[in-house]
Amino acid sequence: MNVLITSAASATAQIIAGALGSDHTLRLTDLPGSASGDIIANELGHESETDQLVAGIDAIVNIGYQGQSGSNTHLMDYHTRRMYNLLQAASNAGVKRYINISTLKLFQDLEENLVVTEKWRSDPPAEDIELLVAHMAEYVCKEFARDRLIQVVNLRLGWPFIGDSSAGPSDTAAISHGMIGESITAALVAEELIQWQDIHVQSPVDHQRFITKTAARLLPELAGRLSS
Amino acid sequence: MKILILGGNGMLGPWAVKALQDRHDILLTDINDPYPEYKGEFQKLSVDDVDGVVKAAEGMDMIVNLSVLRPHRKIAFDVNTMGNYAMMLAAREHRIKRVITTGPHYQKVGQQYEEWDFDLTPDMPPAPGTRLYAHTKALGQEICRVFSERHGIQVITLLYYNMKHSWNLGGPEAPVVYHEDMVPFSTAWQDCGTAVQAAVEVPEERLASKNESFFIFPDLPHRKFDNEKTRRVLGWKPRYQVERLWNKDSRNPESNLTEAF
Repeated sequence: MNVLITSAASATAQIIAGALGSDHTLRLTDLPGSASGDIIANELGHESETDQLVAGIDAIVNIGYQGQSGSNTHLMDYHTRRMYNLLQAASNAGVKRYINISTLKLFQDLEENLVVTEKWRSDPPAEDIELLVAHMAEYVCKEFARDRLIQVVNLRLGWPFIGDSSAGPSDTAAISHGMIGESITAALVAEELIQWQDIHVQSPVDHQRFITKTAARLLPELAGRLSS
Repeated sequence: MKILILGGNGMLGPWAVKALQDRHDILLTDINDPYPEYKGEFQKLSVDDVDGVVKAAEGMDMIVNLSVLRPHRKIAFDVNTMGNYAMMLAAREHRIKRVITTGPHYQKVGQQYEEWDFDLTPDMPPAPGTRLYAHTKALGQEICRVFSERHGIQVITLLYYNMKHSWNLGGPEAPVVYHEDMVPFSTAWQDCGTAVQAAVEVPEERLASKNESFFIFPDLPHRKFDNEKTRRVLGWKPRYQVERLWNKDSRNPESNLTEAF
């Protein structure tokens, strides 16, 4: 499968690219200030460059949370206008699936004892620009799915990301690098998805904070590794 | 009350200013020069200039955002989305308690509602879809909602659709056509302006939440959209019913013997 990964210089994108690289043909992109090496510099504007970027692509993995840095207005612009441009180009090119990497931190202000699932409304704080723009990116994606222009998987990942180390006692929403890669690998090929599909994923840890039954149901490759 | 008006030199701005200027102190801002008849305080300002908007809002009691940009892929986001972000940052910075924003009906009621349903209200979950104007305005409204919930800022969103000149009921489309299929959400420009006044002056206790939206149109018989809340809560009374667009009784007699009637 030909997969485009955005914000490719970010730590999240590098985890994902590492996981997908052996089974898929990757095209990496980021804004000109961040792109280097194999990463294609692209502004995600509304001109033909973005059309060329998505040509021949089967699926896009978009880093919708902490893929970019900069001023508040830059982040707002990136996660609204540039997301719109990318989705418009992808829709026009017939890209089949768009995986938006979001975060379960959108629910962090809810008490830990609550049984939070995909059916809960997220609650982005206005004062945290990274979470606010993650929410706005979700909003843009959802409208493209609503208009049935592209199928969107909104994958909300837990935090923190843990590599080889195990989660600390307070990391009740942690997700391992391995679980990140496997969930995206599975989301690329999952078949039972609706046009707009929220999926929450975190690793099974002590006092696990978020329910992952939707992921277990829709991403069967993960089922044995998620908390039941 | 001291009111900052953003994007006040567009099509709606002069009508809103006319309704407000004898009752409130206005700082009109726009990226373009003010219209010739305007004699009040003015500052050239682009609504997406976040620092400029925050600075202009200092000492204000309220912000009214009338800015709009429809077709350009970048500027539509700058004005319709970033403009509301700038407004809400300014409101938070200066502890401004109420902001009023405006937009098209389909930033809330997109095609999936409008083409299927009736009795549409402004309290339905937004479904703007991907049409640029609706989408960018809806993003702006969502930013307002988040700031409102977090900071208790009263947001009033006035939604319009089809504006008409009161004297001939003409609008953007020309020439005017009477007694044919009309947009069942049409409003005279004067009434569009007085709706802004109503939103500025409505007592807080009449608003059910910190984030309220209103459809601005007179009583129309179609029942496609519902304006009951606007009348009840804002107390807005449109002067023009645009009746010649929907009532054949208002046409001239075929004999043209108008004096006999």
